[in-house]
Amino acid sequence: MAKKSEGDMEGTKKHIPIEEGLFYVPSTEDDKPYLIGAKCKDCGLATFPKTPVCPRCMKKDTMEEAHLRGKGKLDTFSIVQAALPGFQAPSIQAYINLEEGPRIWSLVTGCEPSEEALKIGMDMELVIAKVREDPEGTELISYQFKPVEK
Amino acid sequence: MRDVSIIGVGMTRFGKFVDRNIQDLGREATWKAIEDANVSTKDINIAYVANAVGQQLTELKGTIGQHVLTSAGVFGVPIVNVENACSGGSTALRSAFLEVASGSCDLALALGVEKLFCGDSAKSAAAMASGTIYAKFGFMFVALYSMQLRKWMEKSSATKDHFAKVVVKNTYNGSLNPNAQFQKPMTMEEVLNSRVIAEPLTQFMCSTMADGAAAAIVCSKDLAGKYTSKPLIDIAACELVSGTYSFPDEPHEEITTRAAKRAYEKASIGPEEVDVAEVHDGMAPAELRLYEELGLCKEGEAAAMIDEGKTTLKGTIPVNPSGGLAAKGHPISATGLAQVAEIVWQLRGEAGPRQVSNPKVGLTENAGGWSMDDNAACSVTILKR
Repeated sequence: MAKKSEGDMEGTKKHIPIEEGLFYVPSTEDDKPYLIGAKCKDCGLATFPKTPVCPRCMKKDTMEEAHLRGKGKLDTFSIVQAALPGFQAPSIQAYINLEEGPRIWSLVTGCEPSEEALKIGMDMELVIAKVREDPEGTELISYQFKPVEK
Repeated sequence: MRDVSIIGVGMTRFGKFVDRNIQDLGREATWKAIEDANVSTKDINIAYVANAVGQQLTELKGTIGQHVLTSAGVFGVPIVNVENACSGGSTALRSAFLEVASGSCDLALALGVEKLFCGDSAKSAAAMASGTIYAKFGFMFVALYSMQLRKWMEKSSATKDHFAKVVVKNTYNGSLNPNAQFQKPMTMEEVLNSRVIAEPLTQFMCSTMADGAAAAIVCSKDLAGKYTSKPLIDIAACELVSGTYSFPDEPHEEITTRAAKRAYEKASIGPEEVDVAEVHDGMAPAELRLYEELGLCKEGEAAAMIDEGKTTLKGTIPVNPSGGLAAKGHPISATGLAQVAEIVWQLRGEAGPRQVSNPKVGLTENAGGWSMDDNAACSVTILKR
């Protein structure tokens, strides 16, 4: 059974994406989130966040929007005991190698902020979770990754 | 292209200066460089002024170079504003160098100036992270360094003890530098027992904010004798690169290595000819990675370099004789030119108690920003006496 983490959205608080156009927020229980990336029609390279020009082909108009399903492996991580104003410490910041290819920066949620809870190479999956609240109490939500429950 | 020499350098002390504004800091560094070069303000044909976050943290909302330099008595000539994150200062130097090398003008000023303490440390911290697209998610450079180090440690024999040794070395050097923010040497215990910020990094392994400014005056080599009788320090290379995309399952060449290769080629030297180096130890342990990426040692030998004391003031290749960012602090755009000032003093033999033994070739490395999952900019400069 998946643990409910602090980061998960709950209750009736208003929440808005921290940035538009980066991820899809599921609207029903059965719906799945995904990342909004891009894929090159010529060489197949996938990017996230989406790039307007393929960094390999460097031609105009070869990139099209692609939905990345958010499965990947933990490339490296940091448990940060300091935070920018408005953010909570500790946070877990990481790089994830997505199945589709891109290595992406992400916050990690759904586990203790401890060295024992995370292992480089472990399976990770996409969740949409709260990053912080703005001064009016609105939850700012984002794509994040959590360790896959075995 | 003409040969170009640095004929004057100057810097403020780096630190927290609540009563000084950005104009005041820039004026002091500019005038120190002018006096060191023995030129007058009228001799300056063009000026490049680097600043990263002045628009966010000061009352100036544009053309900061003009605001700073007019207060120093430099105006009428082209003043070009430069922003390139932590590499801003060295980017300004490269532009000034190319102006003179191309023959477009004879004498140019490069200034880096930063005012980070604004009375609201939260605002300063946010400004320092503002150059990345992930800032709104809480991205922090300390996390980035810690992630890179974690990966690097997997293939290296370096431990936290080695990281602490870098801080011990750099804070000792800083204790001999009147321009350093922190002039107290630290012990291994102090570094290792300071609070963990982001494993494996402890508080004293991380560079801190600072206010400050640094400047250099470059001149066509054949005209330099008109102004100065000091040893001429030639710019053998001043290379700048931006980051590259990491393709899945393909090796990704480190940005520093790419910049260094270009610089060595331009200067027609190999890394073994470098006698002294100032490198960007934004988090002190990163200095170890830079030994390898700059070719100062082979891959896998960085830990041995610090163990054997090779990079101390008396070692075979002293690194960060100024104390580096660890002791000086990091006023973003001023850092690159402060590194250059230190190497000029070292090559002239003017570095006082932290003078290294008779160096002929010096190197500076300065990287920063974060874009496309690589540093946004990296500069490597090679200076020769």
